Amino acid sequence: MIRVEKVVHRYEPEAPDVLRGISLTIEEGSYTALIGPNGCGKTTLIKHLNGLLRPTAGWVSVDGMKTTDTAKIREIRRRVGMVFQNPDSQIVGMTVEEDVAFGPGNLGLPSAEIRRRVDVCLQMVGMAGLEKRPPHTLSGGEKRLLSLAGVLAMDPLYIALDEPAAYLDHAGKHRVLEHIRRLHREGMAIIHIAHDMRDVAAADRVVVMDRGQLILAGTGEEVFGQEELLTSVGLDVPPGGGPIC
Amino acid sequence: MKLGQYLPADTIIHRLDPRVKIASVLTLSLFIFGATPPEIALISLFLIAVIGKTRATLAQVAAAIRPVAPFMALIFLVHLFFTEGEPLLALPALSIRITAEGLVQGTYVTWQFAGLVITGALLTMTTLPSDLVGGIERLLRPFSKVGIPSQEIAVMIAMALRFMPMLLEEYDRIRMAQMARGADFKTGSLALRARALTTLASPLLLAAFRRADELVLAMEARGYRRGPRTTLRELRMGEGDFAAFAVMAAFAVVLCGLRMIS
Repeated sequence: MIRVEKVVHRYEPEAPDVLRGISLTIEEGSYTALIGPNGCGKTTLIKHLNGLLRPTAGWVSVDGMKTTDTAKIREIRRRVGMVFQNPDSQIVGMTVEEDVAFGPGNLGLPSAEIRRRVDVCLQMVGMAGLEKRPPHTLSGGEKRLLSLAGVLAMDPLYIALDEPAAYLDHAGKHRVLEHIRRLHREGMAIIHIAHDMRDVAAADRVVVMDRGQLILAGTGEEVFGQEELLTSVGLDVPPGGGPIC
Repeated sequence: MKLGQYLPADTIIHRLDPRVKIASVLTLSLFIFGATPPEIALISLFLIAVIGKTRATLAQVAAAIRPVAPFMALIFLVHLFFTEGEPLLALPALSIRITAEGLVQGTYVTWQFAGLVITGALLTMTTLPSDLVGGIERLLRPFSKVGIPSQEIAVMIAMALRFMPMLLEEYDRIRMAQMARGADFKTGSLALRARALTTLASPLLLAAFRRADELVLAMEARGYRRGPRTTLRELRMGEGDFAAFAVMAAFAVVLCGLRMIS
């Protein structure tokens, strides 16, 4: 379980608060959608989940480990995988397989185990056969799937994804979202930042953020029923008032 | 850009342990620097034999030299025209004087240059960049005792190689964006074009820094920190590698022997 407790975040001492007292619990195996207008603090929030950022006030814990505990930070980052918005700046390997091997290598696993994880994870995202390809020759969708595979290779319990379907064509988007839904069905906890609410139809909880605060949380039906509130913060409600599968 | 680009194939040379290849390239380079005429012949034959084994075509080898060909020509001409000695051809009207010594010297230096480039290109044409980095890391590892962070250096080189094509893409994008707004990089005087190009520098640098920031976060998120880490492929010397090492050592002994005799 990830617990976010009254977290306040400010990038510079003089700057305004980006997060203003957020409390949130993420259960193992759950699927949480995080939506909200641009600049509301969604990305800042998920960077707290694995200790990339430390709260200015409040605290975050992952399975009982505080993210401020430097002795536990590697284990926290292993448990909470993070897929950033721009795949180009998170792929670090010179080839597809080298990139997937980066995380397990950081964990100090033996080569044979790294090999096994690379093969399993590339298989999982449907990229087996592309092992030797340099990342810059991949399509946008493949780059997203590669960054997902790189995170899966750490064997996480939770995966936070920052707009994994942005800038993809219909087919690419469908493929990426299908993989996310499958991971969830197999028991992975998903935290999914989305812009288009239709992308998070599979979520069992939708959390709406605005100006650094949680303004609404509930099942998809409950949240999308609040059409007036959603429109007032600049979000489009999917036609029909509910999520479309 | 094509300077010694990797050519996928499955040959003895391709399969060699990168450490053997790197050590051989270093050894050969040293011999090329101080080669005497009989050594020149032997080294040339050796290089030709290795090229044969890699199954690289002449065109591919020529392509590896092409980017540095202008420099080679320049070095040759400088030696040809500016070496003192017995004149072979003198045109006082044009103040041109070619000497026999100049011809010999120019040919020698050009051979050295070509030899070094081809030796290096043979390494990069037959070794995957990731294996090359792995080999460098493994060779530097003994030096980590004296404070050389071999694994960090390996990650750094890998990262630089990874981001090269991306920066080129970025450069193209920024250039297009500026051209779309009327910037002109193709006409005008050289000075004018140079100035137009400098306007690309700051957005490119900014983009590079932003990427570096994002990259640091992504690396941290995947558990990276300084210190020991493991890799996908652990290098292991096989029979072929020891054989190649022996061949290289024998060749070095022959070259040294030749030098002692003469």
